[in-house]
Amino acid sequence: MITSIVDKPSMFKKYVPVVLAVCLTACSAPEAVNLSGSSTVLPAVSLAADKYTSETGVSVIVNAGGSGSGFNQLAEGQTDIGMMSRDITESELKKFDDLSFIKTAIGRDAVVPSISSEIYEAGVQALTIAQIAEIYSGRVDNWSAFGGPDRAIFVIDKEASRGTRQIFMGVVLGNPKAEAPGADLVTGSNNEEQTALTQSDAAIGMLSFTWLNEDVRGLSIILPNQQVVAPSLENIRSGAFPFVRDLTVVTRTDTKTAAQDFVDYLLGPEGQKAVEESGYIKVNE
Amino acid sequence: MSGATLSPAKQRTGSRDGVKTYCQFSAVTSIFIVGLILVTLLIQSGPVLLADNNGLLGTHWNPDEGLYGVLPMLFGSVFVMLIATSMAFPIGLMTAIYISETRSSKLRRFYKSILELLAGIPSIVYGLIGVAYLNIWVADAFDLQSGRIILTAGILLGIMILPTFLTLSEDAISSVPLKFRENAKSLGLYRHEIFKKVILPQAKSGIAGAGLLALGRALGETMAVMLVIGSLDRLPSPLFNPLSSGQTITSKLGREVGESAFGSVHFSALVFMSLILVCITIALTILSQYYLTRKGDHV
Repeated sequence: MITSIVDKPSMFKKYVPVVLAVCLTACSAPEAVNLSGSSTVLPAVSLAADKYTSETGVSVIVNAGGSGSGFNQLAEGQTDIGMMSRDITESELKKFDDLSFIKTAIGRDAVVPSISSEIYEAGVQALTIAQIAEIYSGRVDNWSAFGGPDRAIFVIDKEASRGTRQIFMGVVLGNPKAEAPGADLVTGSNNEEQTALTQSDAAIGMLSFTWLNEDVRGLSIILPNQQVVAPSLENIRSGAFPFVRDLTVVTRTDTKTAAQDFVDYLLGPEGQKAVEESGYIKVNE
Repeated sequence: MSGATLSPAKQRTGSRDGVKTYCQFSAVTSIFIVGLILVTLLIQSGPVLLADNNGLLGTHWNPDEGLYGVLPMLFGSVFVMLIATSMAFPIGLMTAIYISETRSSKLRRFYKSILELLAGIPSIVYGLIGVAYLNIWVADAFDLQSGRIILTAGILLGIMILPTFLTLSEDAISSVPLKFRENAKSLGLYRHEIFKKVILPQAKSGIAGAGLLALGRALGETMAVMLVIGSLDRLPSPLFNPLSSGQTITSKLGREVGESAFGSVHFSALVFMSLILVCITIALTILSQYYLTRKGDHV
């Protein structure tokens, strides 16, 4: 009895350093690579991350949040790699002008003007860029103007910082940050936008190519020369579809090796396979 | 000698002093934290308040052009709160009266435990239910293209604050001593008279407190509202049209705070909005305290 009472404090003392050491190593030992950003780039990267972790044991943590948020978190040092589905803007670079960044394209994707399947089946399958611009600027508010049913157009916009929106608005309204007075609803991720498009029967929105399905259909684009370009893999690969963009990962020049290794992996055969399996077009053969 | 006899007493006062100091320290710390939050918000709001042509009192929000009109968000917050409270308060009060006045303690305990469970469900769960079901029902009911509108947010918020309001106001009603009821009954008053003339005046301050807490939750709720309100930074037209999409201060913060760099004017504008939110809450608290103490004097 007595010995045990005497022993307790010494045992406690003996174990404190051990416990502390375990805690500390647990916090610092696995060199986890942190990524966040575009929900468009995310499916490809997280697929590659799973493979990478099982191959190397390095844990890779991937979070969504949008291109803008991905860049900010990278610049503020909260993550090691930012995922972006658009270019870094000048104002973003200006905010962190003491840092320099490296952009690496890992795949290619298209933003597709998407409509509810009901409208698609009613006959609206292709529009010109100017017609889409009229919808988003609020000048046209009924599908009958484009040969569709007599139903009000439900216009879905996206948060201003989203890469998908900036590509889309850059082409449609000529300015990535243009306001869309015709918008009836603003969504965030591709997922959220897809849900809103599915739930409506007269909506138009913008989605990354891989998010299209039988409930949400992609519009073909009528070019000024009357040529109709469908949002197909071939047209995206060839660059004929007007809303094509690069999917990029961004790192800081002072990045750690573990992060750079993962970027290299993304460009390697396994990483490129993940890009393709996610429905995007690879950059390295 | 004398030191030895005095020491136990000294020790006791010593520990009592220690507890007292500790309590005082805790109180001061709490006040300090509140003050610190206010000061931080004020300082961080500085850049946007000092920026030229910030359009703060306008309806245009476009960080790219340096316009930070907070009116749509402010209006959205107040509007959603009004819808939520006008839904939750009557239902909550009536249910509270029913539970407390049926006076079967078994039933009461059963009801209460279920309601308290409701109050503990994380808000994101409500949000998911709102996205999956409520917003579709609302869209069907009003024949709309999307149920992500101010009304849906108001209804969802009403459901969320109902348990808080209900169980607290029920507590207030039940805590009126039995002798009041019995005296009133012996005077030959009807049940509804007893409630209106005797119980309600006694429980009034407690019910008002419950309402205030519920209001606070309604104003501060972020996740659930963000998912169903539609996030459109625009005043509804016509102004009091609950069927259009909107934005509250909290949903705006939730959507945008990740994209604004710390220290930028954009960030500062977001902080300014949260300052407004805090000011509204403080004003509500002061108002209710004033109201409660004034009523208390009369009784």
